[in-house]
Amino acid sequence: MATPFAVLLYASIAALSAIPGGLVRWSADSGRDRWIGWAHALSAGGMLGAAFVLTGVPYAAAGAAAIGAVLGVAFIAGTHALTHLEDLDLSRPDRDDPTAAPRLVALHALHACTEGVAIGVAMAVNLSLGVFVALAIAVHNVPEAALLVGATRRRGRSRTARVGLAVMSNLGQPLLAVMTWLLVTSLPASLPWVLGFAVGALLNLVMTELLPASYREAGSTSIALVASVAMGLVVLLGGILP
Amino acid sequence: MVFTYGMITALATGLGALPFLLVRTVSGRMVGRLNAVASGLMLGASFGLLAEGTRFGGWQTFSGGLLGVLFILATNRFLREHPVGPGTGPVAEDGLRRMVLIVTVMTVHSLAEGVAIGASFGGGMALATFITVAIAVHNIPEGVAISAVLRSNGVSVPRCAGWSIVSSLPQPVMAVPAFLFVEAFAPALPYGIGFAAGAMVFMVLLEILPEAYGKGSAREIGTIATLSMIAMMLFQRVVAG
Repeated sequence: MATPFAVLLYASIAALSAIPGGLVRWSADSGRDRWIGWAHALSAGGMLGAAFVLTGVPYAAAGAAAIGAVLGVAFIAGTHALTHLEDLDLSRPDRDDPTAAPRLVALHALHACTEGVAIGVAMAVNLSLGVFVALAIAVHNVPEAALLVGATRRRGRSRTARVGLAVMSNLGQPLLAVMTWLLVTSLPASLPWVLGFAVGALLNLVMTELLPASYREAGSTSIALVASVAMGLVVLLGGILP
Repeated sequence: MVFTYGMITALATGLGALPFLLVRTVSGRMVGRLNAVASGLMLGASFGLLAEGTRFGGWQTFSGGLLGVLFILATNRFLREHPVGPGTGPVAEDGLRRMVLIVTVMTVHSLAEGVAIGASFGGGMALATFITVAIAVHNIPEGVAISAVLRSNGVSVPRCAGWSIVSSLPQPVMAVPAFLFVEAFAPALPYGIGFAAGAMVFMVLLEILPEAYGKGSAREIGTIATLSMIAMMLFQRVVAG
């Protein structure tokens, strides 16, 4: 059984994994960068695997989970409408557009909230699943922070401040993780809804952002290899959870 | 008996082509959307396969999955070097290659499913009938996925139905020996299921999704794919009871 302290601890570890990511020196000016593509693909595969592991949680109400999943999709679609994703390159936002960097930070901050929901609901199912999902999201936060720190470079702030910003944008993770855990443990009937929401949001994040961004940086063969092997590994590890 | 039941499930796959009677012309945008639907349905189906495979053994499913990835990698390379049919220009060749890949992947996947059906036939007629109906219904969206890719390359609806059925034929063919020799087939099952899932996921990521993203906005294509995936997972859960 997870305690609120454990939820806070692991969700914070996930949020703080932005720090190693922020230390990676990456210039947003370089052209097509295969490493970024592979980092996105690694995240995409890991998130697909985590979504699969979450769908394995036994619950009765498939209809509620499906509605929850559609709501999760709608939430991500809402964050895209709000930040005008169409003209926002996630890996290297337009330097001449002063709104690009703030929009990117806002997008990351909103996503961190859905990732917090995923950690919280997994913690409510059991501790090992919760730690597992938190670690999967921590891995995903590393390249995300590297990109964010690189993309906000010309904002006239120091590197430390930008790494701090990347960590702050993950604040939704511990916050929403604890809130979700409280909701699901005090109201077990909400489990399929919240679980569905988390799965729908993670899947839509993969399909609308991570995968398209990865194909822009590297060839589809290497992207498909990295993503499918990462997914397989997460599925494998998820299967041997106690 | 087992064969007849299996045959019904194969024919059901052909029903997946029917929705495409409504789609008269296939524009560039529609190609993107159809590929997005196919991607979502196949990813959803592979989640179902993985859930089944990992019940029998995680490592076996994972190794099977790696083999499935290598299989598609090799098949794709082979098809690139030896274009099939009267390919006119690189565009037609790419389309043709994609069609051959999806029919191959779906055939391999129904091979694994055929073994799963046969192996689960031991529980008496009532259960057998139930499983047959379940698999038959479950095959319809797989027919939709195949037809979506074929139709978007200009293949006619009856031919879409034909290829959908062909891709499901290994189901009855494999179900019989699997039923007769359950002990021999059961250990191979997680490898086979993993192989099918790995091949399916890798093919979607390698060919179908990039093709779809190239023909529409990431938001539109990604959202269609996600919703199709959710629909497939709900469908499988409801059908499986």
